[in-house]
Amino acid sequence: MPPVPSGLRWIAPCGVALLLVGVAAGIAQSPAGAPPADVKQLYDTSCANCHGTDGRGHGPAADALTPRPRDFTRGTYKFRSTASGSLPSDDDLYRSIAHGLPGTSMLGWKGILDDGQTRALVVYVKQFSPRFATEGATPVTATPALPSSPASIEKGRAAYETLACGACHGDGGAGVDAIAMGLKDDWGNDAHAPNLTEPWSFRGGRTAADIYMRLKSGINGTPMPSFGDTAKDEDLWHVANYVVSLARKPVWEMTADELRSHYARQAEADAASPVQRGRSLVATMACGHCHTPADREGRALPGLEFAGGVKMRLVVWGDVVSANLTSDNETGLGRASDSDIKRAFTHGIKRDGSRMLPFPMGWPAYAHLTPQDQDALVAYLRTLPPVKNQIPPPVRPGVFAYLTSKFQMLIGGKDFPIVIYAGNAGSAGTPGPGQAPARR
Amino acid sequence: MKRILKWVVLAVVVLAACGFVGYLYFVPPLMSTAPEEFINGEAAMAPPVDRIPDPAVRALAERGRYVLLTTDCTGCHVTPGPQGPLPDMYLAGGRKFVTAAHGTVVSRNLTPDAETGLARRTDDDVKRVLRSGVYPDGRTISHTAMPWAQFSNWSDEDLHAVVVYLRHITPVRHEIPPPASGGSEAIVPNTIEVVYGADAGKR
Repeated sequence: MPPVPSGLRWIAPCGVALLLVGVAAGIAQSPAGAPPADVKQLYDTSCANCHGTDGRGHGPAADALTPRPRDFTRGTYKFRSTASGSLPSDDDLYRSIAHGLPGTSMLGWKGILDDGQTRALVVYVKQFSPRFATEGATPVTATPALPSSPASIEKGRAAYETLACGACHGDGGAGVDAIAMGLKDDWGNDAHAPNLTEPWSFRGGRTAADIYMRLKSGINGTPMPSFGDTAKDEDLWHVANYVVSLARKPVWEMTADELRSHYARQAEADAASPVQRGRSLVATMACGHCHTPADREGRALPGLEFAGGVKMRLVVWGDVVSANLTSDNETGLGRASDSDIKRAFTHGIKRDGSRMLPFPMGWPAYAHLTPQDQDALVAYLRTLPPVKNQIPPPVRPGVFAYLTSKFQMLIGGKDFPIVIYAGNAGSAGTPGPGQAPARR
Repeated sequence: MKRILKWVVLAVVVLAACGFVGYLYFVPPLMSTAPEEFINGEAAMAPPVDRIPDPAVRALAERGRYVLLTTDCTGCHVTPGPQGPLPDMYLAGGRKFVTAAHGTVVSRNLTPDAETGLARRTDDDVKRVLRSGVYPDGRTISHTAMPWAQFSNWSDEDLHAVVVYLRHITPVRHEIPPPASGGSEAIVPNTIEVVYGADAGKR
């Protein structure tokens, strides 16, 4: 062992002592139940992108999400083991954070966050609503489970009809277009009536016990009531067993033949409800990414959904502004024919015959939509409420500016970026917070 | 006579130069290419699924290919080259986005390459990015550069089909730098983001 210089001999014991003091201080500072000091930072980095730093459920990424992120300030929570209208228990909140809500953007944080961090977030999320200071959570007591059997499932099917579950969930749980029915939740958003044959997307879990609890406690803030007082408790277990029995095979378990007939059936269903299919296409193809103007953080400007107006500078080609896709007659697609709209998004040819570049508008990709899906997309665009937002025509750079930048690009190898501007470049202007241009 | 000839030659040269400049300006590149060429090029880039031996996986991948193809994933995830996207670098990433709110990100390599691509990620990792915009280590992803908030609306089944297809495209070695800080405000004020055209990845 090499000799240790005398001046350094004290360093190791001092380090150990300091460490011990530090650990002791750490224990003293965080008694059980109190959030560690860094929980705000944890919330802001992990949760605020969707739920917002103020907990109002309107973080920068919230606008495109279905369902919308929870607004913590109201204290209204959907998935609970407590009485209808009551606050959730800590364990309910813990479960939502740790295991997520299937079928939504709320992921299970277990494995990313440890138990202590999750518990700290439960406490932190509760402080957004004053209700938690004055009210308690009233737990619901579940009766012992009734095992599933053909008899129980049959009783459940009868109760499903008596309780009129099919009004929102469809006959045999096959689902309905809740948006077309005009079902809204307490936040004013379109409600979702899940297809009961697809249990992998049940937010609150897919077991009979989970489904029993949804029936018993209801889903606060949504049209789904509690049946705790209106139905016999044993019937709730029978309905739960019935709903479990409705499950179809998911695609990841199907054989090739089953997949073929599944996709054929799906195409048939899509053809029967083109607006619903079109809505789903427009949402997932990210049309709003460029056709809904946004602020710097990417938060959609209120009242301008699909109204266009996002300005992009493509240096050598000039400035282009995204089109107004709403059904406004003067400034939107109101007077465009179906084939005009399809020619634009599949071939990049505008109504005046001029051409679009193959980017940023990805028409070379959208051209591969089946004719049926193209029709569905148009059918949905027709339903967008009109917003008056006149879009300025593209502006080419001057001859000199064009040639200089072209020269720099070709000879100098300069990388001219595409610049995407915040705000609305259309005639409706950029509304301030809280104000929206009038819909007509 | 010689003098007149000189003037005529000069006039022709000047006219030709003006014509060339005018052509460059009024008929910009890409506009002289028929739309069908772009459309066919788009489909030609996406590998067909007919070499997948398992028929069930093939049917799923076919659905995933349709979803991917019609969502314009190529717009950001095909490696950019000096003359536009490089078809043999299909979904190999490398386009740089400097966003206002989330720093600098580079489109990821989505090919199943063992060291630089998605072979390093589980299905759940990939789905979590597309559904929730969260990396395996818990960091959140800018939704202005990567529209994951929109893709979150894919059904669980379509999401699964997309991942199955991504597992069967051609692996390409292309290392993508990790996200970095630094916003677009310094480059151009009042922007959501600035998107570069050069490959920021390493081959």
